[in-house]
Amino acid sequence: MEHIILFAGPMGAGKTTAIRTLSDIPVVATEASNSDRAAADKATTTVALDYGEIGVSDEEKVRLYGIPGQRRFDFMWRILRDRAEGMLLLIHNDAPDPLGSMREFLIEFGDLCDRGGVAVGVTRTDVRPGLIVTDYTDFLEQERPDLMAPVMAVDPRDRGNMELLLMSLIANIEMRALYREVPA
Amino acid sequence: MSAESGLVAGSRPAVTAPPELSGWAGAATAIHAIQQMTTPMVLNLDIEGHAITIDFAYNAFAGDLPLADLPAYPRTVLVETRTQDLDAAPEIELPGRSLDSLLWLIGYHAFGDEPAPWLVEGHRYRLRRWPSLGELSLSLDQVRMTAMLGNAFATSAELAAAAHTPPADARRLVNGFSTVGILRRSAGAPPLVEAVPDAGEPHPATGLFSRLREKWGR
Repeated sequence: MEHIILFAGPMGAGKTTAIRTLSDIPVVATEASNSDRAAADKATTTVALDYGEIGVSDEEKVRLYGIPGQRRFDFMWRILRDRAEGMLLLIHNDAPDPLGSMREFLIEFGDLCDRGGVAVGVTRTDVRPGLIVTDYTDFLEQERPDLMAPVMAVDPRDRGNMELLLMSLIANIEMRALYREVPA
Repeated sequence: MSAESGLVAGSRPAVTAPPELSGWAGAATAIHAIQQMTTPMVLNLDIEGHAITIDFAYNAFAGDLPLADLPAYPRTVLVETRTQDLDAAPEIELPGRSLDSLLWLIGYHAFGDEPAPWLVEGHRYRLRRWPSLGELSLSLDQVRMTAMLGNAFATSAELAAAAHTPPADARRLVNGFSTVGILRRSAGAPPLVEAVPDAGEPHPATGLFSRLREKWGR
């Protein structure tokens, strides 16, 4: 049995780091030089997929796929989103327009959202304290009142943070399926 | 501002609170009342000498103690409310601290194992948004109940039964979320009913969440 969880979000949000934190295996990372230092001040960026795994048992795995944040790689998004059960959307708080960026990914992965398969992790809240987590939840409530996504501030290097975010995603997916006949 | 307590200067009458408003209960009741109002309000709390100021217009608070150091069951909490002008400057230095964590703490502990007095027996409740999860230190049982409330209306009794937790745990959770101000209420929502899994699909209640929880020993 396998489960596919996507890690999505803009470049620099911490997707690769988050997968490394959760994975039971060394992460397979595909990187190239970052030609867009204005968007994210890092030397490299993911160009295909990052891959990690959580071994639940001998017969069951959670496959963790990090999709590249740059739009020029969005063909990779389409390959996986139909197969994915859920998505951890990481948004860095010091992005130029973090709420707009969140909106963009929620639109792109609308089907996953409709299935309850999204949780939002806000990274780097210590770098840009202007926005707080309830700004994101309030924004979601206005933009997608039907979405009901877990939102929390996370450090992608912190295993406790990432486990809680992943568990909240899975709980939301399972409860959505359990009570799917009940209208909002 | 009084340098001693941080509260707004002025006389405050001595009040002996009735039992139902002792400890955090008075604060929770005041918070709930303020949330029904459209007028901007400021709430000052004195928790055994420690001051907290909540500026509801900015959804933030300031205080001289980390939340983890606040007593779960204080003997006395003095409560003072003030209206604010619409264009008044913030009472605290912004951005302040996120209110979810403080209101959750107050609501969760305010009424012991009993429902908050404003919750109506027989009414069902559902989240209108998730709480700021990382700030609340929820257990995984509580995360699961949160996910249930995010996807269906339920009484606290139904929530406890569905989550296989003691009824008091579910009541406290509902109290906490109600005090945070993130619950919708329905008098006419149908009873909580689980959907029948599709043929060949495992029941979600025994799914990946449970197995991952076991793997991670949480």
